[in-house]
Amino acid sequence: MGQFIARSLEAATIFTFAGVGELINQRSGILNVGIEGVMLFGATLGFIVTKTTGSYLLGFLAAILVGALLGLLHGFFSITLGVDQVVSGMGVWILGFGLTTYIGSPYTGPLGLERIDTIFGLSPFFYLAVVLVVVTWFVLFKTNVGLKVRSVGENPSVAEVSGIRVTHIRYACTTIGGMLAGFAGAVYALFYNPVWNYNFLMGWGFIALALVFFSMWNPILLSGGALLFGLLWQLSLNPELLLPGIFSRYMWRMVPFAITIVVLVLISTKWFRLRWGAAKPEALGQPYHKE
Amino acid sequence: MTVAGYEMKLERRVTLAGWQAALIALLAIAVALAGFSLLFIQAGASPLTAYREIFRYAFFNRHGSLLTLSRFIFLALATFSFVVPFRAGLWNIGMTGQMYVGALAAFGVLYAFGGKQPSTANLNPYVVIPLMVLAAAVGGALTGAIAGFLKGKWEVNEIVVTMMLNFMAFWLVSHMIKEGGPFMNPGGRGESFEVPAAVRGPLLGNVPFTIIFALGFALLLEWLFAKTKLGYQIRAYGHSPKAARYAGIQPERISLLVFLIGGAIAGLAGYHYFAAVPGVYKISRDYAYFGDLAFYGIICGLIARGNAIAALPVALLFGGLSIGGRFVQGKLHLGFGIDYALLGVLMITLVAFQFFYRYRFAWNRSD
Repeated sequence: MGQFIARSLEAATIFTFAGVGELINQRSGILNVGIEGVMLFGATLGFIVTKTTGSYLLGFLAAILVGALLGLLHGFFSITLGVDQVVSGMGVWILGFGLTTYIGSPYTGPLGLERIDTIFGLSPFFYLAVVLVVVTWFVLFKTNVGLKVRSVGENPSVAEVSGIRVTHIRYACTTIGGMLAGFAGAVYALFYNPVWNYNFLMGWGFIALALVFFSMWNPILLSGGALLFGLLWQLSLNPELLLPGIFSRYMWRMVPFAITIVVLVLISTKWFRLRWGAAKPEALGQPYHKE
Repeated sequence: MTVAGYEMKLERRVTLAGWQAALIALLAIAVALAGFSLLFIQAGASPLTAYREIFRYAFFNRHGSLLTLSRFIFLALATFSFVVPFRAGLWNIGMTGQMYVGALAAFGVLYAFGGKQPSTANLNPYVVIPLMVLAAAVGGALTGAIAGFLKGKWEVNEIVVTMMLNFMAFWLVSHMIKEGGPFMNPGGRGESFEVPAAVRGPLLGNVPFTIIFALGFALLLEWLFAKTKLGYQIRAYGHSPKAARYAGIQPERISLLVFLIGGAIAGLAGYHYFAAVPGVYKISRDYAYFGDLAFYGIICGLIARGNAIAALPVALLFGGLSIGGRFVQGKLHLGFGIDYALLGVLMITLVAFQFFYRYRFAWNRSD
């Protein structure tokens, strides 16, 4: 059972890193539906670098770097070129899914390194995730920078008039979002499940995207959702812990996805939307053209 | 920027003619293929040889061109399932899940008729084949309808919902065909039982009869969009949901309908690949490969700008590229997944070229 909880927390940290990255993105008004692709890139490049150099540090750095580049790319498409953000995000996802399949396939198999040490029995990334959530919350809601980010996401033209450089802030946010997604992918491939396989993320990025909608764009609520989904995910892998003998193991794998849909529906109802509408960044997904 | 007395400037496009869109699409594909050469070079193959081999095998080799046609049918149907909701401004990226459920429904019909033990079954193709096709369409439509209904009723994000349904359908297929699932092959190889010879999709010449769906739906959908009231409502809703609502169009109805239609067509794609393509005739162990190929439908649909007829040549080209890509992968000893890599490069290039749908370069004489 202790092992089960520890694994659930590990899964939750991955959802948290990716989700907080997407949340920062969306707070500045940029929607990136392609974080699954960014995560795949971070996971695959991190895995390859670590496997060839034997250094975890280099692997994580490579993942963060490629995440930053993909975040910049999405920023370039959606901020500078003014391409539909959904189209651009789809592009990032399919690019990640397509290229990593090709790049990673020679490295199919286990990483073959000693696992990263735990701290007090928990993954070191868990502590990192806690710090990230608190810092993100503090910066977004208690500092001047956070106010700027939020105002850019609410109403970019008004922000621009009051002297905030919308483009700069948005680029910074998409880049940070990309870095966190790339890092999340690397945590998956270098720590949670260090085996490279074709398209192995199987929807983690899309669940992280859904978590941002659940969170009402608040990092603390997001980490709660991530915790829930970490448990759920782990349970779907080990259903015998709760309900042995019911359904095949494949049916259980459907459960986290089904629950995602149910929760998404619940928060979209009118009752919920009265609160939700107030939290959603007003300019989310809309291209902004400086007049 | 000034070049030879002419000043180059970016101008916002007011309109975009069909031929301009086609030109941009061709340019995007050319740039993507040129960029993709780098991967061939990196793998130690000459890009010219690689492309020549790809096109020769895909379009001029007897065996390869038949594979290309089967793949074309699949991609065209996947594209239509994307295009119909896209015309209403909605994103169906659930063609994969819809086609899985369609395939399962078709195999369900076979199972009900005792097709799992073909020696004892007395299968009448005139009954079983139409029922399989119908079941595939209904299965796909119902899967799509979940996303359409939720979007129309509560504005639930259809991208996340269709993606979640993809993963659910993926595991559902595993459940049905593996480890004692009802559709498991009696030999127990982690794939489904085979479609008995009597009820395999008939061939027209050497081409699966499902090519009728691919060509027929292209015409039917464009007729629907251009000539019918429903088509007009779909397009109006796609342009501006708010304005459409004032014009008396019910968003719930449009959203549900486009996903029903799109899902049904994706279901047919599932029937096509697992029950009508020569050499397959079962839900194979690597069904995820076909499922992920369905995402090509997104690219074809975007390149064709939602026009079902324009999507046909694009689907044919991409079908050929993916078949030829697999071929050179073996022939030139390249790594696995060349066709997927191409999918990624095409998609991202296309995204960059979306810019030119809204802007153009203008050359003015500078005085």
